[in-house]
Amino acid sequence: MNEFARALLAPVTWRMALRNVWRNPRRTGVVLLAIGIGLGGVVLAMAINYGMIFQMVDAAIRTDLGHVQIHGAGFQKEPGVEIRLPASLVAEVRAAAPPELRATAARVRAQGLASTSHGNIGVALLAIDPLREPEITDLQQALVAGRWLDAASRRALVGARLAERLKLEVGEKLVVSAQDVHGDLTAEAFRVGGILRTDSLPIDERSVFIALRDGQRILGMHQEVSELVLVARSNDSDEINALRDALRARLPGELEVLAWHELRPLLQYMVDVFRQTAWVTYAAIFVAMAFGIANVLLMSVYERIRELGILMAIGMKPGRVVALLLSESLLLTLSGVTAGLVLGLLGVAALSDGIDLSRWGEGLVSFGIPTRIVPELPLDDLATPITIAVITALVSGIWPALHAVRIVPSEAVRHI
Amino acid sequence: MLEARAVHKVYDSRGAETHALSDMSLRISEGEFTVLAGPSGSGKTTLLNLFGGLDEPTSGQIRLDDQDLAACTRSELAELRLRKLGFVFQAYNLIPVLTAVENVEFVMELQGVARAERRRRATGMLAELGLGELTSKRPLELSGGQQQRVAVARAIVSQPRVVLADEPTANLDSTTAGGLLDLMQTMNRERGVTFLFSTHDPMVIERAARVVRLRDGRVVADETATSL
Repeated sequence: MNEFARALLAPVTWRMALRNVWRNPRRTGVVLLAIGIGLGGVVLAMAINYGMIFQMVDAAIRTDLGHVQIHGAGFQKEPGVEIRLPASLVAEVRAAAPPELRATAARVRAQGLASTSHGNIGVALLAIDPLREPEITDLQQALVAGRWLDAASRRALVGARLAERLKLEVGEKLVVSAQDVHGDLTAEAFRVGGILRTDSLPIDERSVFIALRDGQRILGMHQEVSELVLVARSNDSDEINALRDALRARLPGELEVLAWHELRPLLQYMVDVFRQTAWVTYAAIFVAMAFGIANVLLMSVYERIRELGILMAIGMKPGRVVALLLSESLLLTLSGVTAGLVLGLLGVAALSDGIDLSRWGEGLVSFGIPTRIVPELPLDDLATPITIAVITALVSGIWPALHAVRIVPSEAVRHI
Repeated sequence: MLEARAVHKVYDSRGAETHALSDMSLRISEGEFTVLAGPSGSGKTTLLNLFGGLDEPTSGQIRLDDQDLAACTRSELAELRLRKLGFVFQAYNLIPVLTAVENVEFVMELQGVARAERRRRATGMLAELGLGELTSKRPLELSGGQQQRVAVARAIVSQPRVVLADEPTANLDSTTAGGLLDLMQTMNRERGVTFLFSTHDPMVIERAARVVRLRDGRVVADETATSL
């Protein structure tokens, strides 16, 4: 082991480093405060951004996507009632039930037209299983008027904005028309059974939900469905991918079995881009921090020229001098980072009820952003600032350390 | 054991050359208690620094145990100082963030002496120097004399071959200085430690076994106790 490594492992190095760092408590305190507040602010900002993105993903999963969806071949490219799953497949998936699977629900999905005496609006017509849908989405909780669907009731649930535009209230009639499996136009009248308000603009503005059997009947699909939506036991991506892979292995190869991030790659892309740019944000903060730390250590070296000369005179090797200065840098940086993380996490805890952005609700919902954001900081992401902090400490300690080892002992011991 | 061979040391400050040592040759043998005496600017400290490997001669050779110090790297010089030399400076000798006992232990820590052993030797040495009650004090809590005694303890606790002391009594009152010299003489007699001082303090010169007088970077007299 060389001198540098031996010195880094020696308790006396750290004891001296700790005492040196606190020799000037005011200066050290100011630096720690600056690092703490700066990093704490960044951590809180990161947590708010993470919270927003994770809630966007979560909202998409809980209102529409589920974790995994199964469609017939070609549905992703050109969705339509002509691409259907047989009833036997639904039963087969439920019977197979991989261990990761928590719930399933079948849907029929078609494009249609909602009409009242006040106008016509193109909508997504979703025929859902009223009993199973609440197991995979939170749509039932999004009801702001009326009640949930029955098995086959000729009642429809409509999004709040659609209701406003068509001047619909619970109990009123709307006509839904769509193209059936034979290509013929079909239409049927429904009573508005309930109104939904979600964080999803497509649902609020352009969706009509009817019971699965009603949908199958008017579209001529018998027992067939458009999609099977599955939810895993947890949000863990490994578990979701395992569920998808297990289904792909058991089901005919031509079926489209896709996880949420494959169904909406843009959402996953946002998460990935944010995670990557987090490095850049932290790095920018730490570069600024590095200059502050290097400056403090450099001042400390200039104040201790005689002392460092004496240490060298009594036999301290250059490697040990470098180790001492780097230890001081590490202690200073890691103390600042600890203060910053504590402040940031306290901020996250203080905002655990969420930040109400409903004032800007209109604009946010159109981007799929929830109006109440709860800051969230994945613990594994804390490794990023800590790793960058250690690199910062080492880099900012090198400059003062090089100054220190260039000290000529004979000149330094005369220095007052 | 310590030898300067035709040493010149020139300091160049913004083009102005100062000849600190000129054709200096001197040999210090094992067990000597020698003083380098002379007025300020005579070259005493420069010669001590060269013997300690803290500085390099402009020309000539400095040899320690027949080894030319010019051939050593900075790290090797540090190792030589660690194993063979002890230093006592004029003032502010100690590391302020370490207690008295930690200061004394420090050289042994660098030498790799086990923790229990170095603590035993350091406390023993401080007790021997009358500082047994002050082991946990930091330098700023000690008087100048106490600090110098801790510095001496640090210099000799690792049993170096030579102690180089640069005006060690300059900031001490005569009683404290006398006590410190008693201590060093005892070390010299009982442990055979070689002492080389730079000073213009008559009290130190009186006690020396050999006095080398310098002027303008040259030896002008080399006197042993009998001739003094």
